[in-house]
Amino acid sequence: MQQTALGGAGLLLAPLAGLHSCAPGTGRGHISGSMHGANHATGHLLRDPARLPAPTRTEVVEVLIVGGGVAGLAARRELERQGLRPEQILLVELDEQPGGNSRAGRSAVSAYPWGAHYLPVPDVRNHALLTFLREAGVITGFDAASGLPVYNEYHLCHDPEERLFIRGHWQTGLVPELGVPAAEKEQIARFFRLIDELRQTVGQDGRDAFRIPVQESSGDAQFRRLDDVSFAAYLDEQGFISPHLRWYLDYSCRDDYGASAAQVSAWAGLHYFASRKGHAHNAGSADVLTWPQGNGFLAEQLRQQARSPLRPDTVAYALHDRPTGLAVDCYHVPSRRTTRVEARRVIMATPLFITERLLAGLPPAAHRTLPCHRAPWVVVNLTVPGLPQGPGQPLSWDNVLYGAQSVGYVDAGHQRLSLSDAAPRVVTWYLPLSAPDPATARRQAYQTSYDEWVRRTLAELETAHPGLTPLVERADVWVWGHGMVAPTPGFVWGAARAAAAQPWQQKLFLAHTDLSGISLFEEGFYQGIRAAREVLAASGVVLA
Amino acid sequence: MDKVPVRRAGRAGSAGVAAPPDARPALLLGSVFVIATCGLIYELIAGTLASYLLGDSVMQFSTIIGAYLFSMGIGSWLSRYLSGSLLRWFIRLEILVGLVGGFSAPLLFVLFEYVSSFRLILYALVGLTGILVGLEIPLLMRILENRFEFKDLVSRVFTFDYIGALLASLVFPLVLVPQLGLIRTSLLCGALNVVVAGVALYRFPETRPFRRSLTGALVASLLALAVGFGYAERLQTYTEGLAFQDQVIYSKTTPYQRLVLTKNQRELRLFLNGNLQFSSLDEYRYHEALVHPAMQALPQARRVLVLGGGDGLAVRELLKYPQLQSIRLVDLDAGMTHLFQHNQMLLELNQRALLHPKVQVINGDAYQWVRQDTTRYDCIVVDFPDPGNYSIGKLYSAAFYRELERRLAPGGWVVVQSTSPYVARRSFWCVAHTLEAAGFTTLPYHCYVPSFGEWGFVLAGRNRHWRPDAGPLPPGLRYVTPATIRAMRFFPPDMSEVPTDINQLNNQALVRYFEEDWGPYVH
Repeated sequence: MQQTALGGAGLLLAPLAGLHSCAPGTGRGHISGSMHGANHATGHLLRDPARLPAPTRTEVVEVLIVGGGVAGLAARRELERQGLRPEQILLVELDEQPGGNSRAGRSAVSAYPWGAHYLPVPDVRNHALLTFLREAGVITGFDAASGLPVYNEYHLCHDPEERLFIRGHWQTGLVPELGVPAAEKEQIARFFRLIDELRQTVGQDGRDAFRIPVQESSGDAQFRRLDDVSFAAYLDEQGFISPHLRWYLDYSCRDDYGASAAQVSAWAGLHYFASRKGHAHNAGSADVLTWPQGNGFLAEQLRQQARSPLRPDTVAYALHDRPTGLAVDCYHVPSRRTTRVEARRVIMATPLFITERLLAGLPPAAHRTLPCHRAPWVVVNLTVPGLPQGPGQPLSWDNVLYGAQSVGYVDAGHQRLSLSDAAPRVVTWYLPLSAPDPATARRQAYQTSYDEWVRRTLAELETAHPGLTPLVERADVWVWGHGMVAPTPGFVWGAARAAAAQPWQQKLFLAHTDLSGISLFEEGFYQGIRAAREVLAASGVVLA
Repeated sequence: MDKVPVRRAGRAGSAGVAAPPDARPALLLGSVFVIATCGLIYELIAGTLASYLLGDSVMQFSTIIGAYLFSMGIGSWLSRYLSGSLLRWFIRLEILVGLVGGFSAPLLFVLFEYVSSFRLILYALVGLTGILVGLEIPLLMRILENRFEFKDLVSRVFTFDYIGALLASLVFPLVLVPQLGLIRTSLLCGALNVVVAGVALYRFPETRPFRRSLTGALVASLLALAVGFGYAERLQTYTEGLAFQDQVIYSKTTPYQRLVLTKNQRELRLFLNGNLQFSSLDEYRYHEALVHPAMQALPQARRVLVLGGGDGLAVRELLKYPQLQSIRLVDLDAGMTHLFQHNQMLLELNQRALLHPKVQVINGDAYQWVRQDTTRYDCIVVDFPDPGNYSIGKLYSAAFYRELERRLAPGGWVVVQSTSPYVARRSFWCVAHTLEAAGFTTLPYHCYVPSFGEWGFVLAGRNRHWRPDAGPLPPGLRYVTPATIRAMRFFPPDMSEVPTDINQLNNQALVRYFEEDWGPYVH
């Protein structure tokens, strides 16, 4: 956007979101809406911190958390749970609201997700996550006989869950079936038999081969070897060459990692399927939890479960080493003032490319380098009175088009309990820009106009919903320049990831899904809690 | 189609003097033929519509014909006050007859939806058409009086008049209604009247002074009738004529569903999205079976909640229990409850139940409404449409039944209409098992409703303290007695219990059973 034309720091933050309209005379001239980019103007202040004003006041806290995504919010919650007083903690977030990739929006019709939108029913061994879900009312109790969690039925994804548009028809489920030749079906069945086996497999260290969080997975060499090759190469080698299967697996990688099967490691590709071990009294491993606002619901619950101050619109732009901790310069965008926060300990819950830059002012031992492949994403929320329905399964929660560039769309109104199918609804369309070179794709994405994004969205959706364009009442677009980390070969089990997560001098701690290599809510939650516990251990707090 | 013998009344003519022969009288006699045919068709349309819309065809035809003929008499009498250019009057009259007669059927169909005093409008329209038609023949005779001898005039005019009547009485039931439907038949006759006016206007030189002014009215009328003809299909879709075996007397697409009322001599039927909701002939069986097994066990009941049932027929049964203090009905569709609060025929059927002071009608989503409600009810009557899609399937889920359980007073009962245990055996038992999974004790039962077949219900409470003869039943029931209730509890082997899944929001087992069970019955 108009980066070069802007002078002062304040001007850099001119609102990006204002109302945009489609080009007249294109058949979509009636469509307008907002356009956001994960506040990249604020984020890009970090490129030239010298332009930001010097601190005019000082504040002292025990722990400063930089970054209000899931990891930062989980760390904040955990610190309080373990006995820190709210006034000892401060969280700064550069965006106007916390949530990170779990951000949500709202239109006149419905709340809707801007990013992550579901949580698979978790593994019962993930006690910390289960405790959080119980407190959030997502788990309503535990079955007396089995001890298994009972999930809130309004949060479990309602049926019909998934459908795939293939050969002009909506089939049930996302694994292609309709018109798939028998030989390919056999390969598909063989793949899922392999997954079932891997789901059960335990390494010599007694750990599951694949588990969420990633850190709990087995370190056996036989599994780690899978991290050295690409998923695509592994599939070739195993004889999984069915085009329909390969489309499905590629779709799955793009859906979770923003990168293709050729870009991610075989370990990560298999982890996507073999790590799903959810279990509940009223749900199984294939069930997911979802909300109209997507994981914005979970982010909000995390925020509400702690009371310490949370300062949005605030950019931490410089860290200085101090004998008793770290001093962090935080620029508050609306007031254009910088505060120096003197903290005994700092948790960096920011993406690694931000963290690297922020740590530049510290001694070299504190520096962290972890090159991440991050694909840009585009998310478009369409407000429509309804979708012209093709033949087959009716509108479902997750709706995917076979062979499309996007990973489909989700119906934000799916969980509503209303009989009025005719009422307007919001659908959220996701497009990962999984190009080989993310930097180029990112530059192009920032240069692409609102009209062009809407055109691309509708061009694709029109193939399954002819006549949709004139019905669209509103389209809101979000361009995520930095999306999320992709587990490229060598990333998850490489030495760099483990090294990057190490604290420095009991002052600096790190928490982010980049440190897992897989961007899931569970990983962000895990990373936040891990960092919080390292902080507490450094402070000599005995964990509850 | 009802056929009632109809006879045209004779008309008095005035004396005339012999006149030289003229080619144009043939044209005027041709007009007699056309206007006689149209005049009778308007009468037949009114009679048919009245018996469709109001029922009791002998009564309707008889009174409509009486009113129509009497109005024609008024018209004939009024003709004496017309003077000046009689041809001008005649042309004006034909345009007016064309408009009033032509739009009578569409107007009546449209107004039936909106007005409560439909009869008044019907007879007013019949009267107006009758008066205008009654003016025609005397006026024509006066125009022709100088061109024929009186005996020839009377003979010819009435010959053509009666031949036209015969033609109308044959063409109306055999050709026009089956091919065009009532609305377009009505508009077509209107157009013919206007054409008669046009012919007269252009074939008689004495019309020259007012030709221009009347041409405008004539063209506009023809256009209006043509437009009406084009839109007739929307008003009464042809497909509906094919889909429903009886005459469609009302249809409306609300934001939620399509309501269609059909009628024949014996019964009135309501269809929601093409599915039969009730037949007036045997709905008492369904509604007595729905309400009384639960209510007879609750002599202390004060508050009742009805979910769905916007037709007010379950409420009609509930109002037979004087101990009830309040009945709250929650139905999504305001279009539905409005119809059953305002239409005369339907008010007779539900005995004005939805207008009763104890009854509160709420238009809203039942699920959301129940979740935010805080009242406790002694009885909850659940009368939703069958679980034919995923949205409705949520209203049959264990989660929903747990919400109902929270709204139930101690000792209270919930009763759920649960589709056919014969046709959709798994669906029926799935509802029962789902209620059990939500913590209820259930008492399934069924009854035979001729227009539906075997129909099932599930009574659900917190305990088994229920008897089929617990309390007195209200007087005047036609189906339910303690013995009937006992019999309804018995399930023969072809409907007996089968194992099923529980219907949860995240599996929608019931919708899948329902599709499979009913699939073979729907083409």
